[in-house]
Amino acid sequence: MKNKILLPLLTAVLPLIALSCGTNAHYIQTGGSQSVVSTGYINIQDYIQAANEMTGKLLASGALDRVPNPPAVLAISRIVNNTDQQIDTDLLIKKIRVAVLESGKAMTTTTMGLGGTAEDPLAQGLQQQNAQTIRTPDFTLSGKIIQLYVKAGSTSQSTYSFQLSLTDPRSGLAVWEGEKEITKQGTRSSVGF
Amino acid sequence: MKTLSFLAVVGALLLAITGCKTSVNSVENARKTGQRQMVPDQRAVTDMALARTVSIVGVNSVMTPGGFLKVQIELLNTSRSPQPFSYHFEWFDANGMQLNSLTTAEFPDVIQGGEDRFISSVAPTPACRDFRVKFIAN
Repeated sequence: MKNKILLPLLTAVLPLIALSCGTNAHYIQTGGSQSVVSTGYINIQDYIQAANEMTGKLLASGALDRVPNPPAVLAISRIVNNTDQQIDTDLLIKKIRVAVLESGKAMTTTTMGLGGTAEDPLAQGLQQQNAQTIRTPDFTLSGKIIQLYVKAGSTSQSTYSFQLSLTDPRSGLAVWEGEKEITKQGTRSSVGF
Repeated sequence: MKTLSFLAVVGALLLAITGCKTSVNSVENARKTGQRQMVPDQRAVTDMALARTVSIVGVNSVMTPGGFLKVQIELLNTSRSPQPFSYHFEWFDANGMQLNSLTTAEFPDVIQGGEDRFISSVAPTPACRDFRVKFIAN
């Protein structure tokens, strides 16, 4: 009697359970609380959080306001990747560039780069051709991304340190410095904060 | 055998309950020199449990030297358990239009049982006049 009830019930419920375990591909908010969190990698929400916090501190410091002809002109210098991952540092820097441009406090030059390499070679060529006066950057932005990894039993922990320095090239002094550390701990990757 | 199982279950339950309890003691100067500019706030609560564990004590704001609005919120966990949560600042201009920024982030955080702490954020542009902060339990 029991089997007669249980067997069909299990047959009906088991596929439901199996189906509910998987997740169909769907859109989520970039960097939102539904994002995948992994200890071994820098996730998109980590870049967004680091960029958000450091931009806020940079703007609040007023360092970008201390230029003779505002808005300030920024040039991007070396961003060192000291993690074991191959990362595109623009995931951090571009967000900061967009934010400072939107704030109206600074603009970034795309015709000047480390070792003479311009981000926009066409604009650089046209600028030189037209013999336009090239405005010297008021500041250079350099930085480093560092990873610290430790493990205790099956629990792993990664700390990612995002460091930035804003330097006045005339004096060679860092007029603003920012650091944001993000630590993640767990035994495996998970979905959600 | 039954007694053993019962004791094991009770033990595990006690461990689970006591293992999650946290508490925070603190000390600060009694005579404050800084004056906070408190902001009258308007709240929309749909998660009563979160409103208790991440309760909003007060909101204050200041204009930075560069003309950016900086908002600070004091939170208090009235329970004895740590509460993981995330928060998200939204900014609005003088016309009430939301100003979305690429760097607008959802910040994961944890407030310990009985802890009183602050969170803060700086507006992305000097045009921001108003704000809203969303809290979600993790």
